[in-house]
Amino acid sequence: MITLTINDKEVTLEKPVSVLEAARQAGIKIPTLCYHEALKPYGGCRLCVVEVERMPKLQTACTLMAADGMVVKTESEGISKVRRGILEFLLINHPLDCPYCDKAGECELQDLVNKYGPTVGRYKEEKRKVPESHKDQIFARNMERCVVCTRCVRMCNDQQGASAISIMGRGNHSRMEPFSSDSFNCEYCGNCLTVCPVGAILSRLYMHSFRPWQVDNEVETICSYCGVGCSLVVQVRDESIKRVIPRTGLGVNRGLLCSRGRFGYEYINSQDRLTTPLVRKNGKLEQSTWSEALHIVAERLSGIKRTDGGSAIAGIGSPRCSNEDNYVFQKFIRMACGSNNIDSISRTGYAAAQKYFEELLGQGITTNLIEGLKNSEVIFVVGGDPTAVNPILGLSIREASRRGAKIVVLGNAKGLDRFKTLQVVPPVFREMEVLEELLVGVSGVKGARGEKLDVDKGIRMLSDTYSGSMDIEGIEELKQTLLNSPSTSIVFGMDLVQRANGHRAVFAIAGLTYLLEARLYLLSDRPNEQGLIDAGCVPDMLPGGRPLDIHDFKRKFETEWGGPIPEEDGKTLFEIIEGARNKSVKALYIMGDNPVFNLPDAQYIKEALQALDFLVVQDLFLSETAQLADVVLPALGWTEKTGTYTNLERRIQLQKKAVNAGSGMEDWKIISEVSGKMGYKMAYSDAEDIMDEIAKVSPLYRDLTYREISKGNCLWPYHGEPLRGEIHELPAMVDAASDFRADFYLALEKPLFHSGTLSRRSPALMKICPEPTLKINGAAARKLGLHEGNRVQVTTAAGSSEVPVSIDDTIKDNKVLLSNNFEGQGLFSLLTYTLDPVTKAPGIEGCEVRLIKI
Amino acid sequence: MIDENMRQTIEGLIKKFPCRDSAVVPSLSYIQKVKGHISENDMEDLAIILQFPEARIFSAASFYSMLKLMPKARYHIQVCTNVSCSLVETETLFDHISGKLGIGEGEITPDGLFSLESVECLGSCGYAPAMMVNSEHYENLNFKKADEIIELIIKEFTGKYP
Ligand code: SF4
Ligand code: SF4
Ligand code: SF4
Ligand code: FES
Ligand code: FES
Repeated sequence: MITLTINDKEVTLEKPVSVLEAARQAGIKIPTLCYHEALKPYGGCRLCVVEVERMPKLQTACTLMAADGMVVKTESEGISKVRRGILEFLLINHPLDCPYCDKAGECELQDLVNKYGPTVGRYKEEKRKVPESHKDQIFARNMERCVVCTRCVRMCNDQQGASAISIMGRGNHSRMEPFSSDSFNCEYCGNCLTVCPVGAILSRLYMHSFRPWQVDNEVETICSYCGVGCSLVVQVRDESIKRVIPRTGLGVNRGLLCSRGRFGYEYINSQDRLTTPLVRKNGKLEQSTWSEALHIVAERLSGIKRTDGGSAIAGIGSPRCSNEDNYVFQKFIRMACGSNNIDSISRTGYAAAQKYFEELLGQGITTNLIEGLKNSEVIFVVGGDPTAVNPILGLSIREASRRGAKIVVLGNAKGLDRFKTLQVVPPVFREMEVLEELLVGVSGVKGARGEKLDVDKGIRMLSDTYSGSMDIEGIEELKQTLLNSPSTSIVFGMDLVQRANGHRAVFAIAGLTYLLEARLYLLSDRPNEQGLIDAGCVPDMLPGGRPLDIHDFKRKFETEWGGPIPEEDGKTLFEIIEGARNKSVKALYIMGDNPVFNLPDAQYIKEALQALDFLVVQDLFLSETAQLADVVLPALGWTEKTGTYTNLERRIQLQKKAVNAGSGMEDWKIISEVSGKMGYKMAYSDAEDIMDEIAKVSPLYRDLTYREISKGNCLWPYHGEPLRGEIHELPAMVDAASDFRADFYLALEKPLFHSGTLSRRSPALMKICPEPTLKINGAAARKLGLHEGNRVQVTTAAGSSEVPVSIDDTIKDNKVLLSNNFEGQGLFSLLTYTLDPVTKAPGIEGCEVRLIKI
Repeated sequence: MIDENMRQTIEGLIKKFPCRDSAVVPSLSYIQKVKGHISENDMEDLAIILQFPEARIFSAASFYSMLKLMPKARYHIQVCTNVSCSLVETETLFDHISGKLGIGEGEITPDGLFSLESVECLGSCGYAPAMMVNSEHYENLNFKKADEIIELIIKEFTGKYP
């Protein structure tokens, strides 16, 4: 215990902190400029100087650790004089163009000068002149205003880990600059923007469009882009979002954001938003009214139910919609339509993997706090780049690396390139075998664990059939690293789940998790992949992960929902697609998704949807899928409605309404209207009403209320036991002879700046990354005579596309990467798939690719 | 561009230090020694060799006044214009030299002999004012002394003085 005196007040500290923090704890404010809560102390600006008894000179409170018996004075005539002097020096070069500067009103320098500064400066010479730089599309850089506090640089270096900016020059010539000196060419997280105390770095998204004090409404909500679920603050003026900012220390992200969360919000105000329901008449989609559209939907669905039975109807829910939306949707499909055919795009990865993991290791096995990554000693990254899929989770891995953890990567992970300790790059598409070899090796040392007998048995089977070892550089070191680690985390991306026989990769990872007693993290690129499963938007489980085939569970829901739940097994996503093609599914209701673009083999999917008798699509935009629909219903989006989302650590969070939408209806509301017209009444007054029902029926969300959720610490409980019957489908080693001899293979790039098809409508993200590029290793490109920016024709068995080339030396094998975000140029239109027998995820195929320079 | 030969030398330099970061400045001086100045391209290549962020290499390179980021004249004059040097009577030393050579900040004389630049503290505050010509240090200057230094260079170089 440390006790010290600050301004005659006795302060007792629980743990050692700086004098500055001690003072803050006691409610005493010391002025600062280079200090920031999120950053390490720097001691550069000297504004925080205080008098300390028995110390000869003034001391900087931000760097001085509080010690027992210290007597500190934070204000005196002498101290004020020094502060005034420092500020006068700072103002020598500062342009004082506050009336024109966007920062005015929330500028720390302005506030400090107001309080301590001289009213007139004595400096009469010329000030430093540097024109404001607008060469970057997102940031304006005004180096006349910079006070060289280095907060931005420390943020970019020590927190973001991008190290894209630095202080250049020295003395009077010092300025913050990105390497290329004009455009930032960085991760565009904007976290430097958050910490700049003055108007030296500004966002061009809202430049000169409002003043910080002119905000009508400020709403704390969560991001709509990925499974991390970062907290952020939306500032609104005149019913439009002015900006999105984080709040220091708030939420899972602790005040950091990524480019999508911070700059991706503009899609909500896009001109392309649907404004009225559309109905197909004479083969063309025409504007209609809500009453007509809802009537047609109810009529047609009822008709098909009557003639072909409920099982001819299917629904696709959405990992972008809230728990409430998805809950109501699955209830509608089950109770009003009479079908268990309900699934979502998540079947392509997260839902498929998560289910198999839970079957093997028990419910909740993927529930781990992101925060926990920082304390791991070894982090094993497989199947994708966490810093692109879930950027804020990626930052925790970088943080762990700075704390001395070993980061071991299997395959490519660009964003961890400077942070990894070991990277093992298997020959193309043989990652799975490497994982199996690792598992066999680890179990050879560790033996059976004896807790999950099925898993032990599977590992034994694998070991028995295992022959010889793969001679891959680093694999032995990787094995030893894992074996010797006192605390391991495994971060698993979806790349391997989407390979043929992807369940083998899942099993191998499950086995490693089990034997190493590791923490498992699944990367999730949509905001509600977990919540969607919890809400029952899967064919075989009711809300709360209750298996449909266990009678008691079903009974309970039937009592609550007032009617029988259909007996027949439901179809998974790709079975629904098959069903549409073979006419066993006649009507499909899609809420908030775009399967034509988001699933592999676009042509095949399109044909399936065209074969339907009736297709309803509920969306914000007239997507590729909506264009095929018979009825299109405009929904509401992020900030236009309230609802809960469950992130990848199973934290249930509130996404709040901040603006009034011009048109459209909440997803759950549209559905309950249709349901009512079909004779199954749903009378919810608002989203909270739905949550009350979920809290009654779902064992995972039991007794949850919005009040409790809004406190921000609701993680659902679990006991690690499978709620469903255990499974016995164990993997067999596939003959390793399958050889991949093509020169190049096409693989999916999960970009940092885009997400699904939403980000296309966000001008800022389109400026940062305006078009798809084919990422290729530099040496390989040179062999083909390709240079950065050259256009290339990419041809697979399924199709062909033309894109520019971008050199990326962090790709260490002969894969070339293309994203699936841009209209008409998505990767998925070039590939075909086969279904994995266990997870029902698509094993993406036909990746051999020919590249021809144009 | 850093060629294979240079790359190997730099790899050798790295081994002399406990961590790669420490090799930044020695590598930069080495590049300058070989190529006369350090280009943006060189820094990019160095970043890859050292596995160190480009921006931080640039930051170091731009901090040290003995590292040149632009091609300079045969004799590069750097005049200190920081506080101590400006306080002594010859506060206009920079202007004086500028007038004498007929070039301003960052410019090169038409014959390519001199280039001129103002710099921050050269660490000679006690013997102000100070300037550097390439790697030579001159202290306790005044107009006359500066003139002499420049004239001496011209004389030595051209072998004749008006
Ligand atoms: S936006 Fe992010 S990555 Fe870019 S310079 Fe700022 S802190 Fe660094
Ligand atoms: S740009 Fe802003 S944060 Fe960065 S050094 Fe300058 S004043 Fe500080
Ligand atoms: S990490 Fe995910 S949730 Fe967080 S701001 Fe980025 S996209 Fe949004
Ligand atoms: S806040 Fe302490 S020196 Fe800047
Ligand atoms: S101020 Fe000129 S050498 Fe220090």
